[in-house]
Amino acid sequence: MSLHPMYARPRNLEQASELLASLSSGAVIIAGGQEIMPYINYGVMMPDVYVDIGGIDALRGVSAETDEVSIGPLTVHRDIQNVEEIVERLPLLAYAAKQIGGGMQVHNRGTIGGNIVAMHPLYDVAPALLALEAEVELLSEKGSQRMSLSELQDLSNHGLGTSSILTKILVKPMSPTTLWGYYKLKNSAGAYGSANAAVVIQLDGENIKSIRVAIGAATEKVVVVSGNLDSYLGGPYSSEVGLAIQKTCSDAIGEPLSDQQGDGVWRKAMAGVAARRATEMALGKLNNSSSKG
Amino acid sequence: MTKGKKPSESYVGKSVRAKEARAPLIGKAKYTNDYSFEGQLYAYILRSPHAAAKINSVDLSGAKKISGVHLALCGRDVFEHTNGITDHLNPAIFGGKSTRLPIMAVDEAWCYGQPVAIVIAEDERTARYAASRIQVDYTPKEPVVDAEKAIAKGARSVVPEWDDNVLIYVPFMNGDTQAAFDQADKIVTTDVKIHRFSSQPMETRCYNAVWEHDTESITLYGTCQNPHPLRLVLAETLRMNENKIRIIASTIGGAFGLKMHGHPEEPLICLMTKLIRRPVKWVENREECLLIGAREQQHKVEMAFDSDGNMTGLRDHFLANIGAPSACPGWGMAFLTGLTMPGPYKVENIDVHMNAVTTNKPSWNAARGYGKESTAIALELAMDNAARQFGISPIDLRLKNFITKEQFPYPSPTGLVYDSGDYGGVLLKALETIGYEDWKDKQKAALAEGRHIGIGMAFELTPEGGTIPGTMVAGYDSSSVRVGPDGTVRVLTGITSPGTHNGTAIAQIVADELGIDMDRIEVLQGDTNSSPYGFGNYSGRSTIVGGGSAALAAKDVRDKINAVAAALLEVEIDTLSLSEGVFSSSDNGDATVTFAEVCYASYTRAYDVAMCIDPPLEATRTFKPPGISHLPDENGRINPYPSYSNAVYVVVCEVDTETGKIDLLSLAAAHDCGKVINPILVEGQVCGAFAMGLGGALTEDVQYDANGVQLTKSFKDYVMLRMADMPLVGMAHHDSPNPDNYLGLKGAGEAGVGGSAAALVNAVNNALEPLEVVIHEMPLTPSRVWSAIQNANNSEGVK
Ligand SMILES: Cc1cc2nc3c(=O)[nH]c(=O)nc-3n(C[C@H](O)[C@H](O)[C@H](O)COP(=O)(O)OP(=O)(O)OC[C@H]3O[C@@H](n4cnc5c(N)ncnc54)[C@H](O)[C@@H]3O)c2cc1C
Repeated sequence: MSLHPMYARPRNLEQASELLASLSSGAVIIAGGQEIMPYINYGVMMPDVYVDIGGIDALRGVSAETDEVSIGPLTVHRDIQNVEEIVERLPLLAYAAKQIGGGMQVHNRGTIGGNIVAMHPLYDVAPALLALEAEVELLSEKGSQRMSLSELQDLSNHGLGTSSILTKILVKPMSPTTLWGYYKLKNSAGAYGSANAAVVIQLDGENIKSIRVAIGAATEKVVVVSGNLDSYLGGPYSSEVGLAIQKTCSDAIGEPLSDQQGDGVWRKAMAGVAARRATEMALGKLNNSSSKG
Repeated sequence: MTKGKKPSESYVGKSVRAKEARAPLIGKAKYTNDYSFEGQLYAYILRSPHAAAKINSVDLSGAKKISGVHLALCGRDVFEHTNGITDHLNPAIFGGKSTRLPIMAVDEAWCYGQPVAIVIAEDERTARYAASRIQVDYTPKEPVVDAEKAIAKGARSVVPEWDDNVLIYVPFMNGDTQAAFDQADKIVTTDVKIHRFSSQPMETRCYNAVWEHDTESITLYGTCQNPHPLRLVLAETLRMNENKIRIIASTIGGAFGLKMHGHPEEPLICLMTKLIRRPVKWVENREECLLIGAREQQHKVEMAFDSDGNMTGLRDHFLANIGAPSACPGWGMAFLTGLTMPGPYKVENIDVHMNAVTTNKPSWNAARGYGKESTAIALELAMDNAARQFGISPIDLRLKNFITKEQFPYPSPTGLVYDSGDYGGVLLKALETIGYEDWKDKQKAALAEGRHIGIGMAFELTPEGGTIPGTMVAGYDSSSVRVGPDGTVRVLTGITSPGTHNGTAIAQIVADELGIDMDRIEVLQGDTNSSPYGFGNYSGRSTIVGGGSAALAAKDVRDKINAVAAALLEVEIDTLSLSEGVFSSSDNGDATVTFAEVCYASYTRAYDVAMCIDPPLEATRTFKPPGISHLPDENGRINPYPSYSNAVYVVVCEVDTETGKIDLLSLAAAHDCGKVINPILVEGQVCGAFAMGLGGALTEDVQYDANGVQLTKSFKDYVMLRMADMPLVGMAHHDSPNPDNYLGLKGAGEAGVGGSAAALVNAVNNALEPLEVVIHEMPLTPSRVWSAIQNANNSEGVK
């Protein structure tokens, strides 16, 4: 808590990492500020030092290799939605980023890194990335470390603390035959999601070869449902299978969130509905009227 | 009388762009927070985290130690310097209870968010930080949160010196309701639950109080709707002379009643400048703004019908949870909910009981509709419920029960006198505007595909321009018209604008009366040092009384100008005509004189040609709407309203039965506000009302936990509708001019929150009819709708 905070803008990752290691817990990394500025403006947070990572070039940009798309954490939502490498190779992520609320300002300033690190259960980026089995690279005093986003989510409840910097988001490109869907159920245009489901499906002819679902906004953490869906593999999709997927996904929700957007019982049920609708979208079975999230 | 502009050139009735809209649109409007002065200091208010608690001690020493802090005071300190806040509307006048209303909690906190201490510092952050260093020792008490529990036997009194928690109980009775129910063919009971939703202006409240060293007086730059009456409240509360206080109400970014006075921060910030003698500013944050409640009511509407569907009796015993005592006029909303029963329906036997219940929730303030929106919600949900139970169309049931055109002026069973209207006509026009029959077809087709479309309608009667005897809620108002020596005009009004652009409507009226271009007119409002004494804005009054009085004043000034023009042209007044700023006479060939030359002569030739007038070219007049009657009838009842606007709202929506989510498909309204001065202004208000009413019915909800602690603290939880949620609004006007008011005005702007909310609920129930699901509890969140559908499905299964 400080009335007179300091501001630092390191120019490279080494400087930033050293600086963070030397500071006490009162330091905070700031990227686009769309997460923490509301808290600061409200007086909920009064950091001693702002470490603005906006000047570190290594954290910017998107590059696509044959087997990996690497996304700099400072990439803003607007770019996630529009950059060719992402639109073509990770259309699910681009689509999910379009569903982010908050309007132009949030899209132009909010970063994918800040969105991930905030680990807010209602956000849209993590379900998409978890469905795509994304990995992340972190840098701390101890050096650089690569892990799956799913592991990171299990490790931590609220962000990375002040000692690590998220330096890269790494995702395998989706093959042109990968089917995907994203369904965001929200009460009104200005509300956060009450169930955000991302689905990735591979078909073998008519039959489902693999299916992976990630559901946000239903519990404290994004829930990934894949193994439980194995019984539907090898056969074709039908409305009965859709309802069964809905039930399996709803059952996967342990302690549902309950907030002003809706209580736990409804939330749990909606996780299933959103998962089924995302699946239908992936399979091109959802009519347009109900796919507008 | 001379001819002014040709009628085709008149401004009244035209969609003239709002003059005042330019500045906000380009970011140049000067809101209260845009004023800052040399030596500006900032206030932060520490508030009670408990709904009910004894305050054992307040230790300010931690705050005082922080560098940059100028003053820190607790409730008791403030108490020493001030009187209780004068009530905006004292409930005792109506037979209710009253109590001293301290500015801050003294020894006892009676709601979450009540001010407990204040810190004044060099900047906002320092003030807030210092406030976090104040130590308050509380002993929490069991709070009284629920209205039903608050009036149960043995409930603790929120105000210790009261016997119970009923601030005021008012019965509205007429005829023999018991007999009507005894003889009824059918009785329909509808339990309606209206939740706490308020109005959230984009600009929150802000007060900047400036000590004027030269005159030892205070200037308050404040977000306030009623500058003159507030000045009196401040004078009484601060123990000052009223003439030592000036209030400047600048551009307002939305008011909706929330900026009507009685708020503790108003005298509090003034007291700070009085003590420190430097400017002190306070800006309300969103969490604080959400503390201000409204509308939380529980109705049990019982309607008795004969076999033809005529309503013969109405009973409604309702509770309003108005929160802790407050000097704001919020509680009066509950009173008006009762007073405006039975709305547009001609039933004469009524038995309506209103209980305004004090609890440990934060208090209400006025909110758009001022209780009349709740009347509409309760009645219109009940009417649809009745139609469903009779198996007849909700249109037919309404048409059968509406007061008819021929019955006006119509004495209502609560003593009101409705001036004019064509309720059935308004309903039919609204249905035509939305394309009712088309939607019925689409509804049928959708249902065949398993989709649930619903069409709902609701009527709202909105008495406007109200006044209450013995209070500063006056029915009349005054304006000055000043024409300068160059022929340009200043209009100063006692009314103010809550952001509705009534200044443009008034300029249109004055331009027509003076016969000149509108761009020669400036309308100035809101400064108690220059405006005539006036009562500001509330109750859709501003164009009725502000426009009416400005018209009278303009006529007076025009008479003077005509006299001088005639003298200059050496002709008789009734031979003059004025066109495009030039006077000529049918008696004097080509001789002309410009409007500006006449004005100049009026000022400069007082001893020759302008001897016929008293300079300057100024007049101040008052418009007192004649429809108001404060002389009690034989039953002791009065008619506090000069005009009765009315409208019908229609909503078409689709319910996603799998999620409970409601999508709006189409909206329409037909509106009778008497003569329409400027259609875009009226239509803008109707669209805004739709957004507020639908937002209230769908999502907006200020929630408290069982301990009375506020849960809804930001727009993350209090979600208002966005453009993307709202279809365009189809609008129709169906004027039946008020016979008594200038130009037949009735007032527009307040109406629509209740009508649109009720239409939405009715539409949802219409959509869910095939599932036998009926919901009368707001808001209709997806989870509530979904649960209702689930419950219906389950009970189906049990059958
Ligand atoms: C009105 C509004 C509506 C919104 N609606 C949505 C929505 O619908 N869906 C959705 O998904 N999101 C939504 N958001 C959230 C928004 O997307 C995120 O807040 C934004 O992406 C955060 O990015 P940032 O760069 O602005 O974060 P910042 O505020 O700068 O930082 C956020 C957090 O991450 C940390 N951080 C940032 N970058 C790094 C890094 N590289 N390494 C380590 N730590 C880091 C910071 O220390 C901080 O704790 C909304 C936000 C607002 C204000």
